[in-house]
Amino acid sequence: MPLLTAAVRAIDRFAELCGVAIAWLMVPLVAAVVYEVVARYAFAAPTIWSFDVTYMLYGAMFMLGAAYTLRVGAHIRTDFFWERWSPRTRGVIDTVAYVVFFFPGIALFLWVGWDEAWYAYEIGEMSEQTPWRPLLWPLKACVPLAAALLLVQGLSELTKSLYAALTGRAFA
Amino acid sequence: MSYETAIGLAMLGVMIAAIFLGFPISFTLLFLAFAFGWWGLGDVVFNLAYFQSIGLMKESLLAAVPLFIFMGFVAEQAGLMERLFSALRLLLAPVRGALFIVVIVTAAAFAMATGIVGAAVTVLGIMAAPIMMRSGYDGQLAAGAITAGGTLGILIPPSVMLIVMGPVLGVSVADLYAAAIVPGFMLAAMYVAYVAARSFFNPKLGPALPKSERAASVWPVLRAVVLGVLPLAGLVAATLGSILAGMATPTEAAGMGAAGALVLAAAYRKLTWAGFQRALMQSLATSSMVLVLALTSNIFGAVFARLGAADWITETLLAAPLPPALMLALVTVLIFLLGWPFEWPAVILVFLPIFYPVVNGLGVDLVWFGALVAVTLQTAYLSPPVAMSAYYLKQVAKGWSLATIYKGMFQFMAIQIVAIALIFLFPAIATWLPDYLFRSGALVVSEPPTTTSADPLGESYDQMYQRSLENLEQ
Repeated sequence: MPLLTAAVRAIDRFAELCGVAIAWLMVPLVAAVVYEVVARYAFAAPTIWSFDVTYMLYGAMFMLGAAYTLRVGAHIRTDFFWERWSPRTRGVIDTVAYVVFFFPGIALFLWVGWDEAWYAYEIGEMSEQTPWRPLLWPLKACVPLAAALLLVQGLSELTKSLYAALTGRAFA
Repeated sequence: MSYETAIGLAMLGVMIAAIFLGFPISFTLLFLAFAFGWWGLGDVVFNLAYFQSIGLMKESLLAAVPLFIFMGFVAEQAGLMERLFSALRLLLAPVRGALFIVVIVTAAAFAMATGIVGAAVTVLGIMAAPIMMRSGYDGQLAAGAITAGGTLGILIPPSVMLIVMGPVLGVSVADLYAAAIVPGFMLAAMYVAYVAARSFFNPKLGPALPKSERAASVWPVLRAVVLGVLPLAGLVAATLGSILAGMATPTEAAGMGAAGALVLAAAYRKLTWAGFQRALMQSLATSSMVLVLALTSNIFGAVFARLGAADWITETLLAAPLPPALMLALVTVLIFLLGWPFEWPAVILVFLPIFYPVVNGLGVDLVWFGALVAVTLQTAYLSPPVAMSAYYLKQVAKGWSLATIYKGMFQFMAIQIVAIALIFLFPAIATWLPDYLFRSGALVVSEPPTTTSADPLGESYDQMYQRSLENLEQ
């Protein structure tokens, strides 16, 4: 058991550290938008890169942040009944749902995302939206990476729900 | 009904049952879309899901979501609400029910700097609840004013809810913002009128503040008001103003707003390292929650549409022998009922797309409908017993029982229902401003120059779905 507890804590710590790194993407995101607005209105010199950089940072941030959001329990639940259920009932529901819904769904997502990202890398796919034409594989790689991070954090969450299901106490 | 359509309807039924269990909605939707989609459509479902995902990740309009959320958290830390609250408290001290009015006005003003609920109710609770209890204010009315005022954050622009709703209804976010402004401030005015009338006729509910709590002279009060209001006004003018003037996209306005909030926080010497880090982490969790749900419900919606179930529902409902107004009223009531167990991201992203074709088929103004939905969902925040704002307030105002808070909320819920009826009967309340700004030619909207010819800004989820179908065929 102590080993399992240590593993859960290690995974949680990992998700938090990744979360900090990902949350900082907000800074370049704000900077890219502000730079574009100032360059356009103050200097009449719009940039060629800001549009692509903006959606890439936003897309990477919310996808990669999914695992951290799972760690802090911020993914939205229907709390209509949830509020009234005991820790044991919650543990049972979560355990079953992680095994039946979460792992198969995210694993499929990882598999599809990996194929597409690898293909984009191999053919050197570029964005068609602007003349800047940046490479797309880094953004596309965020899909399998986000799924992988979610699977790792899912192991920790599954262990916690199993603990609650077996002992009737929330994992603390 | 075809075999595929039946699978789609089964998927909907299983989804509603499954998400009531309380497992995070996003993951439930993703799995069900894969499972039922594979059953009805075969392997193509995986490609469909992928194109939806990457399409959403490239949707630059939605970059406004994390930026506005970040702006709200930074503005909260900058202590903008505290300044406004203490200035207005001094100004209105001699009026009966002063603190009720101060709470509501502060909340409405702060709603223009934030796009979500939580923060406002909590901060108002911390600031106002102790003084209100000390000054002998009626607990029910006080709790009602705080919770109702706090929920204005998701209605009054820059509401994150409206950004997410824009693509669902296929209307521009600028239109929706303009349409929410008048209803938002109308509600604030109705709250103020209600609390002012109640405490005017029964001063015991909310007495004027004692002499010791009033300012000695008027000048320091005016100075405090100006110092508290002006920077906020500047921030709001720069963000909302630039969107409504057609100068900036919502994303650009959000970025400028976030930067402006940081500058304000620094100018007030409230920008600490720990506070900045906390704002970053809160923004990541909140925006990832909303956007991952947007992504998975988009996948679910695409599978649902591809199976033909969306068309089937639309045709069936439109064939029903009901007058359009009654049909709309039914949809509105249904959205209100859904707002009870579900929070707004689920209602907007999961259920609204199912109603959208029906409402569109009735030929009503979708901007008006969007404002109606927004006020309806804001009301859901005030409807006990599942009302987030009650829990937020209870956490910081331990002196009030949950029953007191609920009774206060019921009074304001009644005001909300009057407002919904008014917007329903007099659509001009919502549509006048967007009509005046964007649709009557009063203002020539200059699309912000982008470097692209095929401008993907403001693409609706429906267009995104169409494009992913094209991608599939290649």
